[in-house]
Amino acid sequence: MTDFYPSNSDAIIRSLGRERLTAILQKMLLIRHFELRAEAAYQQGHIGGFFHSYVGQEAIQTAACEVIDHTNWFATSYRCHALALLLGATPDALMAELFGKESGNAHGRGGSMHMFSDHMLGGFGIVSNQISAAAGAAFSAKYRGTKEISVCFLGDGAMAQGTFHETLNLSSLWSLPCLFVVENNEWGMGTHVSRAVANSEQFSGLLAKAYNIESMKLDGMDFFNCYGGFEEAYKKVRTSGRPFVIECLTERFKGHSISDPGLYRTKEDLKRCMERDPIPLLKNTLVAKGIITEADYEAIDKACRERVLASLKFADESPFPGLKTLGTGVYVEEGP
Amino acid sequence: MSMQNIEMREALRQAIDEEMTRDANVFILGEEVAQYNGAYKVTKGLLAKYGEKRVIDTPISELSFAGIAVGAAMTGLRPIVEFMSFNFSYLATDQIINTAAKMHYMSGGRFSVPIVFRGPNGAAAQVACTHSQSLEALYANFPGLIVIAPSNAYDGKGLLKSAIRNPNPVIFLEHELIYGDRMDIPTEEYLVPIGKANIVTRGTDITIVSWSRTMKMCKAAQEELAKQGISVELIDARTIKPLDLDTIATSVQKTHFCLVVEEGHAFAGIGAEVGFEIQDTCFDALDAPVARVCQLETPMPYSKILEAESLPNVARIIKAAHNTLSR
Repeated sequence: MTDFYPSNSDAIIRSLGRERLTAILQKMLLIRHFELRAEAAYQQGHIGGFFHSYVGQEAIQTAACEVIDHTNWFATSYRCHALALLLGATPDALMAELFGKESGNAHGRGGSMHMFSDHMLGGFGIVSNQISAAAGAAFSAKYRGTKEISVCFLGDGAMAQGTFHETLNLSSLWSLPCLFVVENNEWGMGTHVSRAVANSEQFSGLLAKAYNIESMKLDGMDFFNCYGGFEEAYKKVRTSGRPFVIECLTERFKGHSISDPGLYRTKEDLKRCMERDPIPLLKNTLVAKGIITEADYEAIDKACRERVLASLKFADESPFPGLKTLGTGVYVEEGP
Repeated sequence: MSMQNIEMREALRQAIDEEMTRDANVFILGEEVAQYNGAYKVTKGLLAKYGEKRVIDTPISELSFAGIAVGAAMTGLRPIVEFMSFNFSYLATDQIINTAAKMHYMSGGRFSVPIVFRGPNGAAAQVACTHSQSLEALYANFPGLIVIAPSNAYDGKGLLKSAIRNPNPVIFLEHELIYGDRMDIPTEEYLVPIGKANIVTRGTDITIVSWSRTMKMCKAAQEELAKQGISVELIDARTIKPLDLDTIATSVQKTHFCLVVEEGHAFAGIGAEVGFEIQDTCFDALDAPVARVCQLETPMPYSKILEAESLPNVARIIKAAHNTLSR
């Protein structure tokens, strides 16, 4: 049994209240609908390239963005649609980006793996590419003497990259206020974490300890455990100005990317992990506590579905970038 | 105008010092830049003047300290990253190429990366193949990067100041073997614009284009050729990317002959690019194919005599000029 951070769901429910809890459920459902509809649009040929779905992992980034003020800095891997949505990018802008349209989040330059918001540095396409850049945002805050922290999401596959080790070392040496969040969905594409990382079950904690960094593990399928853990970690990073490592155990319900049929895990395994789908888990808790009704849930679900359908329409109707804009933005043109 | 006679390393130091005074967001990090005063003393005295907040020693973790600097640049600072040798920048290429070079375009203009990666490039004295590489052709291949390779203290100072103020990522290639070269330069502040070549000597018979340390060989060759009655127009490209093709092409239109001298390898080198551009823009003006003197196509050998044979030298430049001119 993994030793998760001991959060108190009842206290969290009381402190958040009905309105925010409903909004949280709505955010998770918006991500879910966005990913599923975008995947369908991909299969219809509207979207190209690589496409990495966040379905199954919604509780983690939703909880993080609920706890941590959006004036802080954020970065994640190529599995980045959810974080951009949570940090204020609209479904329209994200879907249009997937469609390669001028109205897209990066004007059709970035695509699925490279999405942004004013405080989201990316969407980084290469495994581990975001880790040191995120620590750089923490460096900036410390340099200027401002209070932001930087939140860096990475997958379990990135734990094997040297830059994770280097950046933990530098973050500890230099006391950078950076929260590293390993989203361990067990699979680096088709390679199980136990085949990629030595001593994988204890790895993140021992690694953090080696660099004199505090750490915790969270149940990535349980919104409340994530919320409680992020609250504690955010407080610690802000007050200490030091890095912190969180490992969230989670499951992705889809392949690594859209082209991955996931043959490395059995249907039974997938079914078993989907029994802990974070959205029904949250919904059932809220219904059981009498905070929302089934009818409330249906209404939220419907609204999210309609919002995403509207974004598909927006993306479809948006024009492609003008061919004459191809060279725009390779360099910053204005003077310093 | 009052002048000072200083070494290249001091000129570069002054550029960093002046820009750190001018802009509190400018800082420098790298291996041995602070307490050790720089492996080549370019950062000498900066720690004492600016303190450890702005002059930062790093562990030997090129990828991640480069990445931290990139993240700092994306969030409003203006880092200068010193590579003790540009050979070590290979470790950091994921951040230089995948993040710094592409971020502005890839993010639809949302984030920019105003950063300077600087340090010695090219061959030093018998440091063999892992420590002798010329990386201008590698980095110039990527849209989004600016590549600068000055040959003297005046250009070094003025271009480094321009690089630090530029809103784009800049690869600033110095050279270990010219850090100690002295020159009279103004004591007053000045800038040298990025993307402008310098016509070092005016001539009418042949255009020779080079940059960085090989400019010294070209100057010696130009003087020898002058004694032989051959008038060389010698151009210091100074900036590799964006390359000042106008200045080079205007010269070739006049001289009808062109020789490119490059310390790096010939294959897919900067000389190949200049040669292609010249045949493209000056085809009718050329009286002979564009010629190149480059490093031979081997990893750099250690042995002194082999190293010297591999690199461009004055004799090879003079010979190539004669061959091109058929006289």
